Amino acid sequence: MKILVPLKRVSDPDNANKVKVTGGKLDASGLEWKPNPFDEYAVEAALRLTENGTNTKARVGEVVVVTFGPKEAETTLRAALATGADKAIRIDALDDALDGDVVARALKALVDKEKPDLVLLGKQAVDGDSNQVGQLLAEYLGWPQATFAASIKSNADKALIVSREVDGGALNLKLTLPAVVSVDLRIVAPKSVTSIHTPATHTYPDGVRFAALMAIMAAKKKPMTEVKLADLVTDAATKIKYTGFELPPSRKAGIKVKTVAELVEKLKNEAKAL
Amino acid sequence: MEKPVQAINRYKADLRDFNFLLFEQFKLQDLCGKAPFEAWGEEEIRSSLTECYRFAREVTGPLNAIGDATGCKIENGRVIAPRQFEDAWKKLYEAGWISIGVSPDHGGAGAPLSVAVLTLELLAGSNAAFAMYPGLAHGAGEVIAAFGTEEQQHLFCERMFAGKWGGTMCLTEPHAGTDVGSAKTTAKKNADGSYNITGTKIFITGGDHQLAENIIHLVLARVEGAPPGTKGLTLFIVPSVRTSPDGTLGERNDANVASIEHKMGINGSATCVLNFGENGKCIGWPVGGEEKLNQGMPQMFRMMNGARIAVGVQGVAVASSAYLNALEYARERKQGSSITHWKDASAPRVPIIDHADVRRMLLDMKCRVEGIRALAVKLAFHRDAVSVYGATDEKVAVYHQGQVDLLVPLVKAYGSDQGFRVCETAIQTYGGAGYTRDYPVEQYCRDAKIFSIYEGTNHIQAMDLVGRKLGQAGGANLQSFLGDVSKFVAAQSSHPVLGDAVKRLGKAQEQVGATAMRMLMWFQSGNLGMVPLSANRVLEMMSELTVAWLLLDAAVIAEEEKKKVDAGHPDFAFYSGKTQAALYYARNVLPGVEFKGKLLEEEDKSPLDIPNEAFATV
Ligand SMILES: Cc1cc2nc3c(=O)[nH]c(=O)nc-3n(C[C@H](O)[C@H](O)[C@H](O)COP(=O)(O)OP(=O)(O)OC[C@H]3O[C@@H](n4cnc5c(N)ncnc54)[C@H](O)[C@@H]3O)c2cc1C
Repeated sequence: MKILVPLKRVSDPDNANKVKVTGGKLDASGLEWKPNPFDEYAVEAALRLTENGTNTKARVGEVVVVTFGPKEAETTLRAALATGADKAIRIDALDDALDGDVVARALKALVDKEKPDLVLLGKQAVDGDSNQVGQLLAEYLGWPQATFAASIKSNADKALIVSREVDGGALNLKLTLPAVVSVDLRIVAPKSVTSIHTPATHTYPDGVRFAALMAIMAAKKKPMTEVKLADLVTDAATKIKYTGFELPPSRKAGIKVKTVAELVEKLKNEAKAL
Repeated sequence: MEKPVQAINRYKADLRDFNFLLFEQFKLQDLCGKAPFEAWGEEEIRSSLTECYRFAREVTGPLNAIGDATGCKIENGRVIAPRQFEDAWKKLYEAGWISIGVSPDHGGAGAPLSVAVLTLELLAGSNAAFAMYPGLAHGAGEVIAAFGTEEQQHLFCERMFAGKWGGTMCLTEPHAGTDVGSAKTTAKKNADGSYNITGTKIFITGGDHQLAENIIHLVLARVEGAPPGTKGLTLFIVPSVRTSPDGTLGERNDANVASIEHKMGINGSATCVLNFGENGKCIGWPVGGEEKLNQGMPQMFRMMNGARIAVGVQGVAVASSAYLNALEYARERKQGSSITHWKDASAPRVPIIDHADVRRMLLDMKCRVEGIRALAVKLAFHRDAVSVYGATDEKVAVYHQGQVDLLVPLVKAYGSDQGFRVCETAIQTYGGAGYTRDYPVEQYCRDAKIFSIYEGTNHIQAMDLVGRKLGQAGGANLQSFLGDVSKFVAAQSSHPVLGDAVKRLGKAQEQVGATAMRMLMWFQSGNLGMVPLSANRVLEMMSELTVAWLLLDAAVIAEEEKKKVDAGHPDFAFYSGKTQAALYYARNVLPGVEFKGKLLEEEDKSPLDIPNEAFATV
């Protein structure tokens, strides 16, 4: 099975307090970059689908990771190569020239070229939290889609049973490949991904795998290609226009009330919550 | 009720500082891509540090307090290390971090030592006790790689570097600690060329454990008829389980653990008494074969540099996490009000980081931690320069190797001494909370104490410095070192921000030069009592000079870089921290160098003059 995994770098969520707004624009200088965690889960799930879990060195499929970004974004791709992905594509673009729609249209064009059996992506990026690309891409491709996958069972690499968590239980969807699937946190639980390549008895460690040192060193030798955004989409206009950014107002200090009556009074008259 | 110990990671590292040292201060990128580091570039190094740090936080870090609470046990004559270490051991070798500096010929990644000391810092800082097991296996493997016969290398090295087999260094005996030469363990030749080993070794780190299927002991022993003292010692390979040449395991080799120590710290690390040949059936082979008899000490010495650097790095590793934890606590703990409102009982409570004395402790820890890390990386960088230039430019290689030799005792002794003291300051920063097991710093402090003792006590390091290193190569290594410092002083003494501090550095440099002359004079004039009496102080002076130099050098770079970023940029704060750390150290520690030099001139001999019975009446 060939799987395409779109991967986004996001500013380190632990450093959210360092985000600055300068002249109504987000200022990313000095921020540290990390792979979007949900995309890392997608890479992990894709690797599990294309290997025998008891011998992960021998690949039984192909995982192609793709990102949109400047040259420095290749670091994020190389980290994915170091955990086991087979090749990487960087679509040269700047973050502020993109929105979910342009990304989905560019990915559609890339899918037409690369012809993967499956596009696996994170349910959303933790910076903008838009949660759009997977759905738009499925629509543009005319492929079946499943979102928020908590587990994936591959039926001989021809069809998938995707389980998504819903209120009060799990919803199982059967999809015939090719398809688009977006993943949620639980996809990296020890038994969330199953395929004919890995014995049913195998248990993965919880979470995203470590990159071994030798794999980091070997990642440099794996193919990394650059594609221009314009080669994928003729119309690069974004649908979303950002008119301005501002930081949320800082919270006012709280007060201590002496009695319940005072609390009710304040909730009613000051906070207008009652 | 006993609070259960949980698998929570407390380990913290500031990778920004690691990357600063490598790429902004020492410019490792200039050596990258050159043989033997062709495979290494900036991106590989940054990724390795990031990924190794993740490993430290997720695998070894969460086991630090657990290993301390569980400790090691003996069951049925075998040592059981904390059970959770089994999985960590497996994962560590899958990930490959221990062999990062090992030659690719033996399955390693051949990284520059400058990188390897920093991955070691991450492993040792996250779990000092655990890191000892693979650390010793690695050290013993390196000995065999350097001196073993081809068959020995073939049989042992890759297995030891891959974690299939463990390893130990067995020098110490009950009556032979610092005085290794009085070892009594004997070796008697058998008809088949092997030797029968008999004796008892104590304090052997990782002398037994369940993490690997075999443990390869390297044992210093005296062959029958060999001369007394260190000259008659041979290093033997003594597997705990006998092996055939293809590595198949056979019966046990009569090398058994008699007991384990109950210690102040590194409780997850088994410190063993080992009996060799209790039943007359312990077989060993000399490292390097029959022609290497009586070469045990020179072989050990060649490897000792690596082990001593590693111990100094252990010191800064644990201290660094102690500092960063204390910093986090100081930002959160509220107590008291600002001194400007000291009369107003209703003034808002402030985080303790706002109190001057807490800030003093934090900056004191910061400059020591970052200064010692710089010292260790500086040494490693010299070593890497030898690797790169050694084959083509002998003069350059000789210079760099000379600096390695000179700096090793400083890294080992100053790193371990100060590392412990930083941990103590970290506890003080916390107050009462730091003294409890709810926070990691009390364990850090207990763990860190051993670093000044093993691998040659710090006095032995000081004697190595004054007795051997200062005069090495006719004093040329010291002269080059002092020359490097004075070049920096000449270039920066009118720096607008750092100039005064740099001038102080110049004074300290002159003082160290003068003190070295005085040591020489004491040697020549037979005033030998003064030498060991002053050695630790001289080592401290030289270390403080070096650390101040490296901190100021960093600050000069930081002041330049700071101009390129605006004030809200995270790097702006980082660079400002570099400047303040250097100024603090230069103003509060560095002046001590001159002062100590003056004290030495007084030749105080009271510790020699006091009669033994005058120390106390009991
Ligand atoms: C946890 C732990 C792990 C260890 N691991 C190992 C190991 O794996 N392998 C191994 O072989 N050993 C190991 N050791 C032993 C360690 O290296 C020794 O403890 C150390 O070398 C000091 O020897 P000693 O304890 O016998 O002290 P002593 O040699 O008795 O020293 C006692 C004091 O006297 C001073 N002193 C001794 N001789 C002189 C002298 N000539 N001049 C001036 N001062 C002197 C010392 O500096 C020290 O302050 C370990 C020890 C510990 C505690």
